[in-house]
Amino acid sequence: MKRNQIINAVLALVFLLFPLAVTSDYYRHLAILALMWVVIGGSWNLLAGYTGQISFGHAIFFGTGAYAAGILADKLGLSAWWGLALGGPAAVLMGLVIGFICFRLRGPYFALATIAAGEICRLIAVNWESMTNGMVGILLIQSFRSKVPYYYLALALAGASLLVFSLVMKSKWGFYFVSIREDQDAAESLGINASLYKNLSLAISAFFTGTAGAFYMNYMAFIDPEVVFSLPYISIMAILVAIIGGVATIWGPAVGAFIMVGIQETFRSAIFGLAPKWVSQSHALVFGLIVIFVILYLANGVVGDWPKIKRLLVRSPKTGDATWLSLKRGKSERPSEG
Amino acid sequence: MRKGLAGITLILTGLVMCAFLMGPALAQETLKVGIVLPLTGDQAKFGEIEKQSFDLALEEINAAGGVNGKKLEFLIEDDTGRPEIGRSVAEKLITKDQVVMLGGGYASSTTYAVAGVAQQNRVPFLINTGSADDITEKKWDYIFRINPPVSEYASGLETFLAEVVKPQSAVILHENTLFGTKGAEAFKKDCEKLGIKVLMTEGYEAGGIDFKPVLIKVKQANPDIIYMISYVMDASLLMRQSRELKLAPKLFIGGAAGFTLPEFAKNAGAAAENVVSATLWHQVLPLPGSMEYFDKFKKKYNKDTDYHGAEAYAAAYVIADALKRAKSLKADDIKQSLKETDLMTVFGPVKFISYGKKTNQNKLTTYVVQWQDGKMQLIWPANLSKVKYVYPVDWLKVWGY
Amino acid sequence: MTVFLQTLVSGLLIGGIYALIGMGMTLIMGVMGIINLAHGQLMMVAMYITYAAYTFFHLDPYLALFVAMPGLFLLGCAIQKYLLNPLMDVETIIPQNQVLMTVGIAIVLTEIARFIFSSTYLSVRTGYSTKVFFLGGVSFNWPMTIAFLLAVALTVALFWFLLKTDLGRSIRAVAQDKEAAILMGVNSRRITIITYGLGAGLVAAAGCLLIPIFYLFPDIGRPFTTKAFVITILGGMGSTVGAIFGGLTLGIAESLGATYIGMSYKEMVGLIIFLTVLIFLPGGLKRLTKV
Repeated sequence: MKRNQIINAVLALVFLLFPLAVTSDYYRHLAILALMWVVIGGSWNLLAGYTGQISFGHAIFFGTGAYAAGILADKLGLSAWWGLALGGPAAVLMGLVIGFICFRLRGPYFALATIAAGEICRLIAVNWESMTNGMVGILLIQSFRSKVPYYYLALALAGASLLVFSLVMKSKWGFYFVSIREDQDAAESLGINASLYKNLSLAISAFFTGTAGAFYMNYMAFIDPEVVFSLPYISIMAILVAIIGGVATIWGPAVGAFIMVGIQETFRSAIFGLAPKWVSQSHALVFGLIVIFVILYLANGVVGDWPKIKRLLVRSPKTGDATWLSLKRGKSERPSEG
Repeated sequence: MRKGLAGITLILTGLVMCAFLMGPALAQETLKVGIVLPLTGDQAKFGEIEKQSFDLALEEINAAGGVNGKKLEFLIEDDTGRPEIGRSVAEKLITKDQVVMLGGGYASSTTYAVAGVAQQNRVPFLINTGSADDITEKKWDYIFRINPPVSEYASGLETFLAEVVKPQSAVILHENTLFGTKGAEAFKKDCEKLGIKVLMTEGYEAGGIDFKPVLIKVKQANPDIIYMISYVMDASLLMRQSRELKLAPKLFIGGAAGFTLPEFAKNAGAAAENVVSATLWHQVLPLPGSMEYFDKFKKKYNKDTDYHGAEAYAAAYVIADALKRAKSLKADDIKQSLKETDLMTVFGPVKFISYGKKTNQNKLTTYVVQWQDGKMQLIWPANLSKVKYVYPVDWLKVWGY
Repeated sequence: MTVFLQTLVSGLLIGGIYALIGMGMTLIMGVMGIINLAHGQLMMVAMYITYAAYTFFHLDPYLALFVAMPGLFLLGCAIQKYLLNPLMDVETIIPQNQVLMTVGIAIVLTEIARFIFSSTYLSVRTGYSTKVFFLGGVSFNWPMTIAFLLAVALTVALFWFLLKTDLGRSIRAVAQDKEAAILMGVNSRRITIITYGLGAGLVAAAGCLLIPIFYLFPDIGRPFTTKAFVITILGGMGSTVGAIFGGLTLGIAESLGATYIGMSYKEMVGLIIFLTVLIFLPGGLKRLTKV
């Protein structure tokens, strides 16, 4: 385990010193976005990967948090930073409403209901112009000109979320979540109050996603319904981040976040300007192909299928390792694994 | 877990390596200006016309000696039609590519977001299409706009309505983004000024299939004129379906945008005939170089251009002119130089003034066109037009009933 | 009164096309339990095929039905065989991998279309595109009316297929109880392939019928996918009759919403109906009948 601790320390150092070593605002921006997705992907992972409630509507929480911050600033003249504190709770409230409506449904029905709920939220934001400025959106002035404070804030948020998710999954709650995922009826017959724990999972998930939304409002200083309640760019992106990284793992979404943000921008900018222009045109195509590829061959994500990747790259299979074999078969991680 | 950390380390190392490799920009051999346009996504068509116009102008400018002997370069970046991407792209152009100023700005929402970035970073931004009024009402001194704001799009129509059509009532249909909503508000005010009663204002989400429910309500309201602010495909469907319902007010009027594109006539067919629209530019206007620009564009790209292209073409020349006159390439000197602009372009005279709540806004009149025999003709002001307007219109006859 | 009747007619006619879109989706969802988020994109592909057939071979869209439907059938089969069936072998923590695969497919189909045809809005304008006839002051658009009638015809054909043929019965068997069907000797793999193909073929028909009255661009698929699963849930997963009523109901509800509440709320109407049905009538309209 010492090796683990050293790696942890090195990583922490790299992240802490990153903005000081890299002075380009462009790369700092990418890092901030990636950190934000670490939070959102991890939140989705808690609700879906660990508790089995596959939500296609996480944009609801993101948007609620973002608009909470934005409306406070735009309508009440308060600093949008208050939104950072209030975005999470606002999203939690929203989450409880959504849970109340949708949790009675299972499997694909739940997923569809979350899609519909997300779209309804978007349409409400578009039409309730007195509150949200409708399609015009909310435009603020950023508090800091430098990206550095935002970076550390995002880092703190990402770190906090990872810590909380890790602690939760190691606790009794973690066991309850996984048991609900595996078989809700069996869990209930064992006396686990499925409804309570689903809502708890949702509350935590919504809290962090909402806070990320409020952060987004403060950082990007511009939101509109299409941006923050977006089905493809927020909800589905959250799912992909978690899946590509590895569902039901703590680090999976974190890895996934960096991969997704990195790949998207690499292609949109035609490999940072090195490749011909048409590469930029194909960024969405590459994205889709990656999704297909990962789901076909790396269904458990980079982290979950890491042994598989290692075997393909390193070509020195370690035989007879029970832990890896069981991971390959895709069984759920025990909550005690990080 | 070992695996996860290893993965993250790998990726982060990669990012850091990239950062160091692509470090600071190379020495300034050329003057770099960043242009933000939608090159993919559903606004791609307009982004393309503007990019092509920028390219056309750039060739000419550099062939004529560039800017004080230095070559001018446009770094055209794709905002994909989304404001948050526009924001990121603007930041990239400013911090990574170290451009001396920004240009472009098609959709209002994206332009708005980009303007926020420009103002914050104190980099001059010359807007050529984004038309929401708010953008130049914020007292952002680094933001300049050569096109009229959407509230003035219909200014050319006012005299046409007052002297020729003289309607008593109107219905306004608009797409519900910033552009349509503000345009509708502005036209409503114009109607009040002219004593026209607005019977109904309806917003809709662009991309609809069936407008008949709304149109039948309009038919019942029986207005004298119907004013529509739409993107091109909605415009075509609105006219086609109005024809199918035999909805025949005295006049159909478009608020520029979709109604002035060649695609409108192509898709609406017979239903486009005799539809009137406000426009910001037409090639027959007595503006130096406007017909030549139209012909050059057609020759090079084998298609028609429209006011969006003219805006871009003119913007390129304004940028070159401002950079030539600037005392240095520092942002504040460029800003000052832009402020002092007094240039005649194919789009019209460019001079940035402050009026009302607006700052750094170029004030232009707009014109009125009408589709006749599948061609868009300039019909108003009467002293500038070569063709007479067709009014009143027997719609049922025109539509072939 | 004319306003109401016109609204009703508009809703009914577009409901026919919606029903076709929904039918394909309900089959796929009923048989495989897959939420096919690429459904609208399959329609888009069919529309581009129709467009190409019209532009290069001057084939009328209604005739192009005979090209696009089989074409999409084959594409659907291929997708199911190579991309979706393999997922059934992989045990993963989240069973919704199939859904995400369809998301990936949707993106790839859209981008390939954009690459070939660019983002330009294309349309097919036939001589009859805007022809109308009037019944008592209410305007009927010819292409939409024909689309409605063809949708009815295709529905009847599908019905006959599902009820009377062996293959149809096998499909229904798998939809009802996959394990039992396998025990009865049904090759469930083959059935899933054919069902996806069938669903694709149906939505292709909807595309051919839609193109004379609408227009085409790469991103056209998404709103239709949403409508497809609203209809599916409304009508009840796996129920073709349900999809028909679901489609008509959605069309009429949207129309009425547009006229009486406001055009910008049109999309919300569908979604609210969707959520309401999902919560209070989870089996869909199917539950109200015995079919």
